[in-house]
Amino acid sequence: MKGTQLGEFEELVLLTVGALYPEAYGVAVMDEILNEIGRSVNISAIHSALRRLESKGFVKSDMGGATNERGGRRKRFFELTAFGKKALDDAQELRMKLYKRIPDISFGQS
Amino acid sequence: MRKQHNIQPPKWADRFLAWYCKPEFLEEIQGDVHELFDVRLAKYGKTRANLQFGWDVLRFLRWSNIKSNRVNSNFISMTTNNFKIAARVLWKQKTNTALNISSIAVGMACFILISLYVQQELTFDKFHEKGERIYRTWTKEDYGQGQEFFYTSSPLPLAPALEENIPEVETTIRVQSGRFLVGEGENRINERISYVTPNFFDVFSFNLIQGNSVDPLGREDIVLSEAYAIKYFGDQQAVGQTLKIQIGEEQLDYTVSAIMADMPTNTGFQMDMVVSNEDLERFYNPRALTAWFNISPETFVLLKENVSIETVEAKLPDMVRKVLGDEVEEGQYVLGFQQLGDIHLDTAFPPSGLPVGNPNYVYVLATVGLLVLIMACINYTTLSTGQSIKRAKEVGIRKVVGAQRGGLVWQYLSESVLITFFAVVTGVGLAFLLLPTFNDLAGTMLEIPITADSILLLVGIILFVGMLTGLYPSMVLSNLKLISILRGSKSGGRRAGMFRKSLVVFQLLLTIFLISGSIVMRQQLNYMQNSDVGYQKDAMVYVDMYAKPGTSGLIDRIQSGFDNAEIFKSKLQSYPEIENLGTANHMFGTSGWTEVGFSDKDGQFRQFTLILTDANYNSGFEIDIVDGRDFDPDLEIDKRESIILNEAAAEYFFGFEDPIGKQLPGENFGTHRVIGVVQDFNYESLHSKVQPLIIAQNGAPMFQGGSDFSINSNPIPKVFFKYAGNSLLGVQATLEEVWESTFPSEELNFGFVDERMRLMYENEARVNKIAGVATVISILIASFGLLGLTILVVNTKVKEIGIRKVLGASPLIIMGILLRQFSLQLVLAFLISIPITWYVMEMWLSDFAYRIDIGVLVFLGSGLLSFFIMISVISYHAVRASRINPVNSLRSE
Repeated sequence: MKGTQLGEFEELVLLTVGALYPEAYGVAVMDEILNEIGRSVNISAIHSALRRLESKGFVKSDMGGATNERGGRRKRFFELTAFGKKALDDAQELRMKLYKRIPDISFGQS
Repeated sequence: MRKQHNIQPPKWADRFLAWYCKPEFLEEIQGDVHELFDVRLAKYGKTRANLQFGWDVLRFLRWSNIKSNRVNSNFISMTTNNFKIAARVLWKQKTNTALNISSIAVGMACFILISLYVQQELTFDKFHEKGERIYRTWTKEDYGQGQEFFYTSSPLPLAPALEENIPEVETTIRVQSGRFLVGEGENRINERISYVTPNFFDVFSFNLIQGNSVDPLGREDIVLSEAYAIKYFGDQQAVGQTLKIQIGEEQLDYTVSAIMADMPTNTGFQMDMVVSNEDLERFYNPRALTAWFNISPETFVLLKENVSIETVEAKLPDMVRKVLGDEVEEGQYVLGFQQLGDIHLDTAFPPSGLPVGNPNYVYVLATVGLLVLIMACINYTTLSTGQSIKRAKEVGIRKVVGAQRGGLVWQYLSESVLITFFAVVTGVGLAFLLLPTFNDLAGTMLEIPITADSILLLVGIILFVGMLTGLYPSMVLSNLKLISILRGSKSGGRRAGMFRKSLVVFQLLLTIFLISGSIVMRQQLNYMQNSDVGYQKDAMVYVDMYAKPGTSGLIDRIQSGFDNAEIFKSKLQSYPEIENLGTANHMFGTSGWTEVGFSDKDGQFRQFTLILTDANYNSGFEIDIVDGRDFDPDLEIDKRESIILNEAAAEYFFGFEDPIGKQLPGENFGTHRVIGVVQDFNYESLHSKVQPLIIAQNGAPMFQGGSDFSINSNPIPKVFFKYAGNSLLGVQATLEEVWESTFPSEELNFGFVDERMRLMYENEARVNKIAGVATVISILIASFGLLGLTILVVNTKVKEIGIRKVLGASPLIIMGILLRQFSLQLVLAFLISIPITWYVMEMWLSDFAYRIDIGVLVFLGSGLLSFFIMISVISYHAVRASRINPVNSLRSE
């Protein structure tokens, strides 16, 4: 295991899963990322990211009920765990801490 | 979305997904891609949706999604288990494993390198696509009374005659090479250029990589090798450029029409510049074009497909009768064909353009390579058989649990295959590392090919060697009787011990054989290079002269060379460090000096070698006069008609009579008189006896009397001198200075006589070097083996040594016990090696007319050397064993 580091793309997927609750499954996450950020990602990348997040314990998943579309196949729904929420908070906090330390001068206002 | 429900994504992609995907992920993945397909179908239409569906399926093909292969087979799981156990065992016995792997690896590296060389020799010109159908013609003329001529070059009219008279011949190719001056003005370079029939590249498989590859050899076209394209034109595009070449008296402009890939090392052609001989008269004397008794190019024929060579050869006598008519009698002029692939290693045919190697050397090397590999394998066999006692318990337990004998054999074989695998991989790596050194040493240009074939071959070698080495130990181990193992006795060890000991003897035997063999070879080589050849060869320098451009006719060209030599000599004379100045038209270290044949007064055909010199030849090379006198530089008569014989010629022509003042026993010689006899000096190679030689200043009388001539080395005179200065660079500087002022438009070409001599024995030297390397490696391997065995013996004898020490044995005695183990084997190996070495080396030496005798010293030397090596290998462990505190070895049982 790669430990519990949160990669850039993973963080993005994790946020999306949180935002889409309780309707977060592969295609929905992909569409959301495309609509909100305008980033076009292959479905297989979403799947691997979700699986990685699950193995790190940031999300948990369950198979939903039978559907009418997609040939009756079930969807796997993901939701944020408390640990995943904490990881997002930590990331946010770290970012803010560093952000606040940026002195004005580095904005090039002289 | 519902509307299009009947349209499904492409079936193949769906099935592919279902095939590779882990079942636990299949549903969600399939669901997602299907959903996406439906969306895209509505949005973009069928084609794009299909494409993207396929793409998605491909993208899901990731390691984490792929089904793991769960073939449930006992065979596979047992094999996996065997290898797992093998790896653990090998890891446990690290010293043994390291010794085994390194000895097989070193042996393998040596084997690979040698087999590369052997393979190069064996595959000479066997890569041509049409090679099976290409033959070279040979001719045998036999007029009785020893007047026999056998050659593989051929007269010029042969090619058209073959095409006309024998319908099975598809085409003929004439190939010849010569040296021509290339370039303009002061920068002319003397290059070897091949002139060939324009269809050369259609028949032989040499790749044209640039330019006109269909019809590259027009009348004014030249094809260059890649290397030469760079040599002449550097980075520029060479195709289309022109080169000036002097052919005969003409300066001709040739256009580069194509570039061919550099010829591989395993072809005899080795051409860098190829031009067409379409305009035959440009290269050959018009009279030669119809002359059947004047030999020049090599003629190759390409037979039509499905034609047997016998039917074609059967038609040759008729053709000879037709074209030669009454000129020869039946059987006097015989033609024949030799397969292209056979040329390189067939010494029964005289060489012409294509080099001929000695097949014996190839076989010797192949054997040596194989021997080294065998020695490495023996190491493994002896060591692991030795280990078997240690592992008897393991076998016992396995048998109790129910292991079958076959299964045990497989288990131990997996061990040896695993070892061989590591060893071969290491060995290949070693071979890659050592290849440049090897090439340097042996003067070869080998490369390790990386092809599917060679990898397959390596896998084959791994399995074969692994099985072979592991077979005996695994038999021994699996044969152990269950009862006797568990009871603790070591039965069966005696026979295995005998076998092991004889293997060790065999291995030592090979080592001693290789050591003595390479000592003998080295001695013979030293003998050849240092033996008194009868003339001064140290510090002798020769400089090639040139005939004045435009001189035609051999005699005139030689004369013109002598004239130039006089000019050059007069300039060199003023340098104090240049001594013994002289001129001669052949130089030592080249074979193929002018041969003259004539029928004497009794009708007997006689032959002698002729060398044309100035008056200083014998004194310059410090050749001893045994009878009569040397040339006198001041005597005009010596310049015209005096000749000097060597002892062989004196005996050949005059028997025991005094030859001084006599004439040769032929009819048509011009005025000449023998004035002296010189001691036999070895002017050709030490492979052959000294032949009759005549030294003359004026060639004309000799040429008049001869009826047959053969000249196979450059007969244009060379100036020679002894250089007394001490810096080699000095020679070059002096020569360049003088040459520049004398012949500014020609290229300076000079060399050292002893260097040329060395080159003559290059083949022998190469074999000796390769064999030497193999010997060192075999010593190394044998030492590894001995080291392993010593460790083994010390381990099994720990208790014995402990008890002996308690009873008061000194370290020296203990060392003696250990040494005794091996010295008997060494002595035995040594004794057996003597007759074998003697026999094999006698065979090798019989190739030389001048050879050493195999002395006792050789055997004494190799015996002492191997004994010394053995002692040094053994003693470290012996000393360590003898110093162990007996308490440590005895306190636990």
